[in-house]
Amino acid sequence: MTYHFALPPLDALVEDHRVHRTLYAETSIFDAEMNKIFGGTWTFLAHESELPAPNDFVRKKLGLRPVIVTRDRNGGMHALLNRCTHRGATVCRQDEGNARRFTCPYHNWSFENTGSLAGVPIEDGYGPEFDKSKLGLGKVRVESYRGFIFGTLNREMPSLEAHLGQAARLLDEWLDRWPGGRVVVRRGTHRLICNGNWKLVYDNSADGYHPGFSHASLLRMRKDRYGGGVDMQWAVGNVDEGLQTVADVGNGHTFIDQRAEIKRYWEQAAPMPGENRYEQIIRDRLGENADAALDLVMGSGMNLNIFPNLLVIGNQIQVIEPKSVGLTHLTWYATALEADDLPPEVNALRMRLQEDFPSFGEPDDLANFEECQVGLGIPEMEWVLTGRHLNSGKEYSGAKGLLTGPVTDELPLRAFWREWKRIMTSTAALAAS
Amino acid sequence: MEAHHDINSSSSRLVNTMTIPMDEGFTTGDILRDTLESTYVDDSYYAKLRDDLDEWQKIGAPLSEADRQTYEALILHEHWLLDRRAFERWYKLYSRQCVYWVPAAADMPDSQRGDPQRQVTIAFDDRRRMGDRIIWLRTGMAYSQLPPSYTSHSNSGFVRIATACAGEVKIRSQFIVHEMRAGHPIRPLTGWMGHVFIEEDGKLKIDRKIVALLDAARSQHNLTFLL
Repeated sequence: MTYHFALPPLDALVEDHRVHRTLYAETSIFDAEMNKIFGGTWTFLAHESELPAPNDFVRKKLGLRPVIVTRDRNGGMHALLNRCTHRGATVCRQDEGNARRFTCPYHNWSFENTGSLAGVPIEDGYGPEFDKSKLGLGKVRVESYRGFIFGTLNREMPSLEAHLGQAARLLDEWLDRWPGGRVVVRRGTHRLICNGNWKLVYDNSADGYHPGFSHASLLRMRKDRYGGGVDMQWAVGNVDEGLQTVADVGNGHTFIDQRAEIKRYWEQAAPMPGENRYEQIIRDRLGENADAALDLVMGSGMNLNIFPNLLVIGNQIQVIEPKSVGLTHLTWYATALEADDLPPEVNALRMRLQEDFPSFGEPDDLANFEECQVGLGIPEMEWVLTGRHLNSGKEYSGAKGLLTGPVTDELPLRAFWREWKRIMTSTAALAAS
Repeated sequence: MEAHHDINSSSSRLVNTMTIPMDEGFTTGDILRDTLESTYVDDSYYAKLRDDLDEWQKIGAPLSEADRQTYEALILHEHWLLDRRAFERWYKLYSRQCVYWVPAAADMPDSQRGDPQRQVTIAFDDRRRMGDRIIWLRTGMAYSQLPPSYTSHSNSGFVRIATACAGEVKIRSQFIVHEMRAGHPIRPLTGWMGHVFIEEDGKLKIDRKIVALLDAARSQHNLTFLL
């Protein structure tokens, strides 16, 4: 059956040039989002390199629903609702591991990593009508695109690749920076807590207006210490006159493209421990290919945000994990790029560079999001503005036919809210199989 | 000043003096001009850090009175400086090829789980990045430190760990750091620390510090202050 939540009429709360503060501050909205948004569309669950071997699993969330993402012995991927079909206990209580079966500790019902119910102690107590084939773990529909595993409870969703649309082409560009290179996680994580609503994180990930101001500490430190030219100096000044752009990628996916500002990736990279020694080693080993390999150390120059919870930024895969209306966890999965012709020094440097923004950039963002959450609690101040460049005439049909604007355009906010409202008002039935 | 080299004997000390460095330290301007390259973090440096992780697992010996006066005293002094936000003086306690390292792997990472060459950390600051961090804290524009964090370090359970590295002394201790920022509750952070001491230019210096948080693998709120 489908649950319907008593929601205020959303047309009154989501307008093109502004949205209502309650969308960030009301528990009833949050509860509805956790059911309808997370699971009602393709929602990022895990990266295949987190579970590389047969029978590997990782424990994740689909909104607030506990989920086990498994790879079965034949390599097939599954997302199972972590809830015993008997009395409701979780059957998996580890973050990751390798298991052919999950056995509920309460009464030892055991389930295959494909979800089917394998065994019930003292089964004859249920009588002849008992049908184990109907009592497997709830299953989330899953599909992968080039290692990115998504799940949905909406049977009506088109295929993942169709839903990603041009976001899949941008993801290709992010993945294909080195011929034959494979992006892999399991290289450690930054797990960050924000006392703010999850949407503040998504909003900001396509906000090209804030860096010159919110990241004044990072920009000042770099300039004072290293002079100009190093890392993110394109964020200074009237950035609408620069080369960065934002785009509406469709279905709530959004994009900041910084790549046109990056002339020499390696030389514009932030400082990182080990860079002098390893640069020399990489140059000695690769000769004329060294510049291209060193460029892979620096972030991609892309912020690709895939609705509602996946942010592919720099060299990291960030996942938004809502906990409550005013509490969000944000996990940054570090990535390595593996290829036979890439020396390991490239990845050692990538690890060090991927610590830079979580140290000197992201904390200032999270502090600002938390202060947004405080301000958004004031009932008498109702609106959040989303109309920058709405009427400036600066938007145009850009690369890939995407609606594109100058980097401070709040086009991505408007794209997000349009998709958000569409899904929140959808009557599609959500169900496990 | 004579250095002893029989460092596995608990009575030996690197610097045969009862005093600890009490220099006035650097100014922010000194740090701006210090070490603008990163030349020493390489395969052999990472190998040394992996060896450290293995050695930190070992049973330690409670400190002799002389070791307390030298090493425990310097650790307590280091933390006093951090708690006073005297970052420039704190920086001067470290060697030229130092690291300040907060793994993202929980509690007692072994040399594989904790290998910083393969994984990101909460903090992996060579001397240059340590300087960057201080300059960043001092910009007055880091909104995650406006208002600033104040800390209170409490360390106990100091033990000396035998090491195969000649010329080094390893001290492990347990810590609780309480952190307070205006508008936020007081937060306790706990775990163990390892300090590796060397003698440099006739002075005792911290060469490597590891801060292993009990909950390092869990989500963390604002860790922009120094542990």
